Amino acid sequence: MKKKLISMLLAGTMVLSLAACGGGGSTGGDAGDGEDAGAAEMGTSDDENTLTVAAWDPNFNIPALEAAAADYKENVNPDFVLDIKEQGGSQDVETAITTAASSGKYETLPDMVLFQDHWIQKYVADYPDAWQDVNDIDINWDDFYAEKLDYSTIDGVPVDGGTVIMAYRVDLLQEADYTIDDMKGITWEKFIEVGKAVKEKTGKALLCMNSDGNDLMYMMLQAEGVSQFKDGKPYIVGNDKLKEIVELVVQMVKDEILLLPNSWSDYTDKAIQGDQVAGVMNGNWIIPTIQAVEANSGKWEITTMPTLTGEEGYASNGGSSLYITANCKKVDLAKDFLAYTFGKSTVTYDNALKDGGVVSTYIPAGESEVYNEGVAFFNDTPIYAQISEMGSHVQTIEQSPYHYTCREKLGAAVINIVGGADIDEELKNAEDQLNFEMGN
Amino acid sequence: MEKKKGMSLLQKQSRAGWIFLAPATLMIAVMSFWPMISAFITSLKTGSSANMQWASPIFYNYTRMFADQLFLRSVGNTFLYLAIQVPIMLVLAILLAQLLNNKDLKLKGFFRTCVFLPCATALVSYSLIFKSLFATEGLINTILVNLGILSSNYNFLGNPASAKAVIIIALIWRWTGYNMVFYLAGLQNIEYSVYEAAKIDGANGWKTFWGITVPLLKPTIIMTFIMSINGTLQLFDESINLTNGGPAFSTITMSHYIYNNTFGTGVANFGYATAMAFFVFIMVGVLALINMKVGDTRD
Amino acid sequence: MTEKKNRSMIQRRLIPTYIFLAIVSFISVFPFYWMISAATNTSFDVAQGRILPGGNLGVNFQNLIGGQNLWGAMGNSFLYAFVQTIIALLICSLAGFGFELYHDKKKDMVFTILLLAMMIPGVATMIPLFKMIAGMNLLNSVWGFILPAISTPFLIMMFRQNSRNFPVDVMEAARIDGLTEIQIFFRMYMPMMKSTYAAAAVITFMNAWNAYLWPKVIMTDTNAQTMPMLIANMAAGYTTDYGLLMLGVLFCSVPTMIVFFVLQKQFAEGITGAVK
Repeated sequence: MKKKLISMLLAGTMVLSLAACGGGGSTGGDAGDGEDAGAAEMGTSDDENTLTVAAWDPNFNIPALEAAAADYKENVNPDFVLDIKEQGGSQDVETAITTAASSGKYETLPDMVLFQDHWIQKYVADYPDAWQDVNDIDINWDDFYAEKLDYSTIDGVPVDGGTVIMAYRVDLLQEADYTIDDMKGITWEKFIEVGKAVKEKTGKALLCMNSDGNDLMYMMLQAEGVSQFKDGKPYIVGNDKLKEIVELVVQMVKDEILLLPNSWSDYTDKAIQGDQVAGVMNGNWIIPTIQAVEANSGKWEITTMPTLTGEEGYASNGGSSLYITANCKKVDLAKDFLAYTFGKSTVTYDNALKDGGVVSTYIPAGESEVYNEGVAFFNDTPIYAQISEMGSHVQTIEQSPYHYTCREKLGAAVINIVGGADIDEELKNAEDQLNFEMGN
Repeated sequence: MEKKKGMSLLQKQSRAGWIFLAPATLMIAVMSFWPMISAFITSLKTGSSANMQWASPIFYNYTRMFADQLFLRSVGNTFLYLAIQVPIMLVLAILLAQLLNNKDLKLKGFFRTCVFLPCATALVSYSLIFKSLFATEGLINTILVNLGILSSNYNFLGNPASAKAVIIIALIWRWTGYNMVFYLAGLQNIEYSVYEAAKIDGANGWKTFWGITVPLLKPTIIMTFIMSINGTLQLFDESINLTNGGPAFSTITMSHYIYNNTFGTGVANFGYATAMAFFVFIMVGVLALINMKVGDTRD
Repeated sequence: MTEKKNRSMIQRRLIPTYIFLAIVSFISVFPFYWMISAATNTSFDVAQGRILPGGNLGVNFQNLIGGQNLWGAMGNSFLYAFVQTIIALLICSLAGFGFELYHDKKKDMVFTILLLAMMIPGVATMIPLFKMIAGMNLLNSVWGFILPAISTPFLIMMFRQNSRNFPVDVMEAARIDGLTEIQIFFRMYMPMMKSTYAAAAVITFMNAWNAYLWPKVIMTDTNAQTMPMLIANMAAGYTTDYGLLMLGVLFCSVPTMIVFFVLQKQFAEGITGAVK
């Protein structure tokens, strides 16, 4: 009796383990076994006309990819399928690369991934085997902004750019007796002056930035043509422009011209969409966030950034590109798809703009009709043509795999300085900590 | 002959015992101890996680952490939570258990359910709820301003001291009921007659609490203490979902910092991360050991 | 002094207790009220701290099932939590039974070693475990989810502790009746330890349902994602719809609450170590 029970238990365990084998989702690179497995994994597809891609944001990037897929299907390969594996956010794609590379399980990756420009250097340096370099892809790179191409050490195909816009609520500016033209090519001093007036008249801040992201200092610095890095080392202590900018930021916080919400979602949902601000400065991908408040249609316009000297400021923040992973077996198809769509097709770019508000870094795209139409939300100004033109002025500055690490430290420094800490000491701390993490 | 048969029967039983505990033991060995050993080996290496080399000197990662201002800050934060939150929570839990153990109390089931309810929520859920409640435009601010306690909305999660306080409040909210259940269970095992006897001896409530309840609950207290220390030292979800470690790293916990070095910010410094995790492991072990020694009650 | 008078005096003395318990209960329950109320409001109202229920529940619900894979995530979470609970209870109770009722020096020592596993921080073993699970081709599967969690020192400890009240003479009697050891487990031990099983089931189900970090690492495919992952993703997008999010949080919280409500009596008994 006892034996029987034990053998039953054993049999039970075996059934379980068999079920475990059968239930396993992710299999080898060619994913050779079974239909059901294919559906339940990020990985690749068996079908020779299907490419998989991991991307995020159903309101922005994903419509752009869908536009490209439709374009390619209609004009090149009628059997083509782009299987988009939607992720919760860019960090999920980053985590997928990290886990795949760390465990050597590259077969968990899709054919292509959308990847943030500011992160790609770091991930190529850390996980060189996760990528396939496509330097023989048939794209005329001169058609793209030089600054955009400077981010990556391998070739990725640009999807959206990060050209910075300075958007103002013209109705609120008007209450303080200013117009959008008054804001073009001004110094930060002047900006503060306007900010104080707007604050007094309307109670709203003229600028906002989430305190843990700190895109602000980076953008302000790039508009001056200066980087946070010099020759691969942090350039914080002794960087006079940076110090000047940090002082300005702290001043603006103290004057209540600059709001620092605690997190990204507070920044987008509460500060911008909650109508707390009269100005937003960020990569142009912030536009859909601004547009989400329909009640404010017609009240916004955009222009260039202020600078320290009063010239028109140009910078770029964020943006992403498509990269082919090590797991892609259909490299030729992937290359052809990318070269045809994001490499040169204004059809793709026009639809990407219409459906997702994605602004291209492909210079000829800016000349199309769609780009030159007035946008009702922005008082019928052709903002996309404007952005496209602004993008060509962005200066190339030294990039680093430690871009975000540096921003994080600077952001912490600003919070501490606002709280009363000494500026030189905090900048020194930030540089020390950054050096520590870089292993210098 | 008799004796031999008895022996073999006992042996048989002992063997049955081994068979019964084998699956669980094997699983723990494979799913906890083996990964831990493998993590220790990793902690002696450096480099990107896809291409690791032996560190030189071999304990480089271990010496590195003591020079890491951020790690030291995360240790400080974690111990601050430990020192403030655990005592408040446990005292509150015992108090609630004691109150709920009164046989004259009505609505006992209702109160018990209410107090336990918070620990039925997912950590992610309750972090998001608290984040919304304590937001600058959130409900707590609305209430405090309307009551005149605050003159204008306060950014609770944006200031280091108040952000820490919110995390502590959230932790107490989430875990007090959980611990209370254990105390309540312990109290129900104490015969009521013990209290009756104490009453006859003229001991008041306070005296019976310290003289009878606490000593009899000692094993439970030690268990909850160890669990709480362990839980707090591994605190992660609250730090990541409520404050994301901010502002300016003022609320980041050890586990959160380790996570950041593993998956978080593209650092993927597995060697360093596992070394720090080992440090946490040792700390938890030492604290648990001290606890057990202080209140040694083993059978 | 009549009995009745005596009782009302006791109740009067308990008034501070009632007040205190009422306040604690209110604080405990209020965030739930707020969550439910928020689920019926628009995102804007939620962000502004509106306290009363609104009329946006239908819209939020439509958006939730339209925009998110709600039923998929609910189904996954149920599957993972259910399978994990069943297997964990079987394995751990068997071990608790073995450790306590067949205990000797060696087994006690093994048990002490197992307790050490309680102190291992989750983040430390994440990478090796991920490699192991990926190596077994179990990513995105229920087995990948449960394997690291089906044997926990805590559950074994709970069963071992509560087994102390299991009457040894019953075992002896059963043996004389000709029952084998495993039969004793299934026929005597399991029915008598019902409430311990209930308590263990509540704890395991909640842990499995609420797990966040581990599924985040191994569920690389959106079709395999769990409820906590779904709501964390909803909160992490470029913009967050708070009413929608709170409805998601509500969906994520209800199952564990139901489990707790249904089993709460047995749960309390199980924690006490009662034997029926």
